[in-house]
Amino acid sequence: MAKASRKRNKDPLWLQALPFASAVLFLAAWEAVVRLKGLPPIILPAPSSIARYLVAMIADGSLPYNLLVTFLRIMAGFLVAAVFGVLFGVLMGMSRVAARVLDPWIAALYPLPKISLIPLLIIWLGTGEAYILTISAVTAFFPILISTYAGIRQTDLGLVRAARDLGASARQVQMKVVIPAAVPSIFSGLHLGMGVTIILVVAAEMIGGSNQSGMGYLLIRFGQVMETEKVFATLVVLAVFGGVIIKTQQRIDGWIAPWAAGRH
Amino acid sequence: MDIHVENLVQIWDDGGDGIVALEGISHHFRSQKLTCVLGPSGCGKSTLVQIVGGIETASGGTIRIVDPARPGEVARPGERSVMMWQNLNLFPWRNVLDNVAFGLEMAGVPRRERYARAAEMIATVGLKGFEHKQCSQLSGGMRQRVALARALIMDQPILLMDEPFAALDAQTKIVMQEELARTFERTKKTILFVTHAIDEAILLGDEVVVMTARPGRIKEVIPIDLPRPRSQDLINTPEFGAYFDRILHLIREEVLNAMLQQNEAVDG
Repeated sequence: MAKASRKRNKDPLWLQALPFASAVLFLAAWEAVVRLKGLPPIILPAPSSIARYLVAMIADGSLPYNLLVTFLRIMAGFLVAAVFGVLFGVLMGMSRVAARVLDPWIAALYPLPKISLIPLLIIWLGTGEAYILTISAVTAFFPILISTYAGIRQTDLGLVRAARDLGASARQVQMKVVIPAAVPSIFSGLHLGMGVTIILVVAAEMIGGSNQSGMGYLLIRFGQVMETEKVFATLVVLAVFGGVIIKTQQRIDGWIAPWAAGRH
Repeated sequence: MDIHVENLVQIWDDGGDGIVALEGISHHFRSQKLTCVLGPSGCGKSTLVQIVGGIETASGGTIRIVDPARPGEVARPGERSVMMWQNLNLFPWRNVLDNVAFGLEMAGVPRRERYARAAEMIATVGLKGFEHKQCSQLSGGMRQRVALARALIMDQPILLMDEPFAALDAQTKIVMQEELARTFERTKKTILFVTHAIDEAILLGDEVVVMTARPGRIKEVIPIDLPRPRSQDLINTPEFGAYFDRILHLIREEVLNAMLQQNEAVDG
């Protein structure tokens, strides 16, 4: 039995190697095209030269520093959004009064592209940290709130009835059934929220960015002076960083609520 | 506990005249007996036990639940009963131990005591060693045992079972039927067991209440006069065969009626 399942999970070696082969082949083709056609690096630098710049930027500390700054901003925006989003989502799910009071605001603000608030926020808050935090937190707030609310509303009635039958009071039903049952939805809201926080922080660093730091700022600055290798190097780091954040979040989900992993 | 059901009516609101799910059900479910409620799909047999269990409220009629030893005290529906559900309704975020201990936790029993009692109950249903497994890691039959333990730990005199074994494979079903029979003989609970399987009803029941197709009425009550403890071997005896034929005859009419109703609903 164990042997059979091991066999099934193990693809043949060439199939396992295919993703790497595909990546290597693509990079080799890219390198070849750039060299053979003699493309100027401003338009399209070769992977080898991007790699050289990448190493240099890591060595001189500019990439690690700006990545850290962006990371801290993302965490700040995400945490604020997560706390308020889950809180208001639970509140709306449990209290019809709260749902009625908050509903028009959500209906009005949710469809609005949050990025269109940037001019207003810059007028009110300037272009410093407060502005970056606000724009990212406000954007992430809505998907977290709506997923939490939906999760609470969609609780399996059978579980609620079973809990009541086993003697749970109305309050116990809320705390011991409705909220835990909403955890998969809350997690999917937090994943959506993390995604938009990353986007909005980088975008805000590009547009405001009076602090002249962060990955968004690097991208805009290198772009303006046409240091295309550095733009690519920054993008590579940003892509890896995004992947790591998403994987880490999945790990944390599985650690907090193993039963919910992969259900959202 | 004796359960006296008198002229029970349940009408579902459908925006019009309403759908009559139960139409004048009267029956005395006898104390410390296992009564099987048998009927075609949609006949309202689940609704009946849910009303007895206080999970739903009837549109009309009365239920009197009394301990024959104390005829003066009448219990509310649900007060002295616990339900085992068709789809089990185990809490997926709780492990086996915490699922079984749920009722005790709600009642404020301290952690140490409720875990001790839950562990004991888990051992009783044959799941020792699985206390800390997630329910999703268990097989169908094991999940049934968790649900049974979660109900039994409430220590209520009435156990309501709504087709709990319907989704099991044939072999597991046999094992669970034997488990239930043993539990019944050991605990002397009053059990209402909803099923659509004739053999299951005869094998388990002291009495089989056969219901009609919608609107649900009681068609016939058949006492099962077979000695306990019963085993699967009973199925090959002529007595079992006689009960089976009799009930099959009753049920066939009702299933045909139910199919005709469905066709009318589709055509109309």
